[in-house]
Amino acid sequence: MARYARALSTLFFFLALCLSSLLFFLFGVAPLEGLIDLIRLGFLSSNGLIATIGEAVPLIIIAAGLSVPFTARVWNIGAQGQFVMGSILATWIGLELSNFLPPIIVVIFALLSAFLGGAAWIIPPILMRIYRGTNEIIATLMMNFVAVFLLYYLLRGPMEGAVGVSTHEPMSDLLPSTVMLPSLVHGANLGVGLIIALLVAFGLFLLLRYTRLGYELRIIGQSAEAARYAGISIERDVLLASILSGGIAGIAGMVEVYGATRVLLPQIFSDITTSYGYVGIPVALIASLNPMAIVLSAIFFSGIITGAYGMQLELGIPIDVVTSVYGIIMFLAPLGFYVSFARRKISKVRDR
Amino acid sequence: MILEFIASLTVIALTGMVPRAIPVIAASNGELVDQSAGVLNLGVEGMMLIGTVVGFFTDFYTGNLILAFLLAGLAGMCLSLLHAVAAVSLKADQVVSGTAIWFIGWGLSGVIYRALFGKILVPPTINSIPHLSLPILSSIPIIGPIIFGQDPVAYFIILTVVAVHYFLFHTQPGLNLRTVGEDPRTAEEMGVNPKRYRIYAIMFGGLMAGIGGAYLTIAITGTFYYDLTGGMGFIAVALISFGKWKPFRTFFGCLVFGAVFVVFLTIQNYYPSIPYQFFQMWPYLAILVILSGVSAKSGGPAALGKPYEKRD
Repeated sequence: MARYARALSTLFFFLALCLSSLLFFLFGVAPLEGLIDLIRLGFLSSNGLIATIGEAVPLIIIAAGLSVPFTARVWNIGAQGQFVMGSILATWIGLELSNFLPPIIVVIFALLSAFLGGAAWIIPPILMRIYRGTNEIIATLMMNFVAVFLLYYLLRGPMEGAVGVSTHEPMSDLLPSTVMLPSLVHGANLGVGLIIALLVAFGLFLLLRYTRLGYELRIIGQSAEAARYAGISIERDVLLASILSGGIAGIAGMVEVYGATRVLLPQIFSDITTSYGYVGIPVALIASLNPMAIVLSAIFFSGIITGAYGMQLELGIPIDVVTSVYGIIMFLAPLGFYVSFARRKISKVRDR
Repeated sequence: MILEFIASLTVIALTGMVPRAIPVIAASNGELVDQSAGVLNLGVEGMMLIGTVVGFFTDFYTGNLILAFLLAGLAGMCLSLLHAVAAVSLKADQVVSGTAIWFIGWGLSGVIYRALFGKILVPPTINSIPHLSLPILSSIPIIGPIIFGQDPVAYFIILTVVAVHYFLFHTQPGLNLRTVGEDPRTAEEMGVNPKRYRIYAIMFGGLMAGIGGAYLTIAITGTFYYDLTGGMGFIAVALISFGKWKPFRTFFGCLVFGAVFVVFLTIQNYYPSIPYQFFQMWPYLAILVILSGVSAKSGGPAALGKPYEKRD
């Protein structure tokens, strides 16, 4: 059965590649050449690699966080909203406190508030799931829209920066450079941000594999009935896992602002290529919810984004076209993995 | 003064709710059949998105409304077949497969738009559907335009709600389908093929979602922009549990949603001091309130979301 699943995911992956090649052809680029360029610009050039790893940082954090509730088959689709809330609170704390507190304290406060912001955004929908049996997918997704509108309001109202008023682009004030996370390359998350991401991934790897909570979440994921029979408090575990994933998505928002953008912009959240909260879902699933494997799959996805932007610069292909190619690869390739992943789970349960 | 305001708001809500609700009605009606057969398809949003773009461009190039809705429905159906393969044939997790369908529709709708129109800043527009105007009936104040002043597609979609109700609760295949949703094993012992019923149900869900999406671009916006469903597909899924898996109740829920939507669009103009973003987030908060008000555990098909395994 496992072999069958692997064949299937390979099939889907090739289907994705063929379809993308077809698209290149549609827009006047030789099919195979387009794919090679995408890979070359995303992974094999030094600038591309820097951007790829930098963009992978928020993806790693979010996807690793998602792997925790996903293990218990609790589907948090609201990482985008939690990511937005984390970045809002972290930016606000940074702008307010950096005048009179030392930078390191500001960063710690920002990290904590981002966690709280993200966690606050998942608690209502997850309580609805626990107490009312609500479908958490729909509830967490609705929270995303609320968060995005809140962001637009804040950037047009209380948090509107001086630059934004003159350029008519909604954006906050710049954070002081002293609170920015140190990075090897200016503007890319290649320093403390990356270290935070790797620490989060490693920490969650340990949590899922070696702690009681991780063990219980796996049992809940395989069979809620069996978990209840074994005396596991499902409600408590689900709540804990969800808060953890929401808070970690919030931290990703903080790391993105403090490590890369330095300013709160709606563009970080509205463009599909940078909607890390949504992209994080297939990133986590492709890696079979293993946080260490997530590091690799996040770099793979982010490489496709960078390659697409590189093609726009070098070949003059409009980014929208390349974004679409990225969309196809991203949306079709996971399907095979999705299927094989889900099958593996089911056959495991059946073997019991 | 206040009474007048409320009265005028009610009129606005009543006259505006039907067009706003139609896409959700179509999508939730299809998904209701899906779920009655025990299949949870969370890809409604993606199938609607495919419908928006296919419907819009067919109308734009051919001007043939029937063809536009037909192709949009077929596009939604094609996408739903992926879910059928994954969820029924391969017995994959339906939540995961549905999410994948959503992503695929989301990506593909952008791809199709760019492929056909390239990079233009102002999207093209089309004329919306001509509305019926029955000579005497539609001139009745308030009720006239609501009941007799919609466009033909809206009537067709409302008719499908009646048809689905009749099918589910008054025909033998409908009973079979509900049995498949409640207890596929019993259904199979009765000589019903659960897989076939589920696949047909999924295809119908895709068809209706595609049509609902096309209605959004053709009848409401008259133009296409990226990701324009804005969670409507998920709202459709949410309203099914509000409607306790009954077509008419779900239909009613969709109308209420349409009314809430229109009211907030309108009040926005009366209170310019309140930032408009707060009005925009209200439909989503309303869905959360509705969802927390109904307990989803009661009334759903017993085998909802569970893949059917033959006993060996």
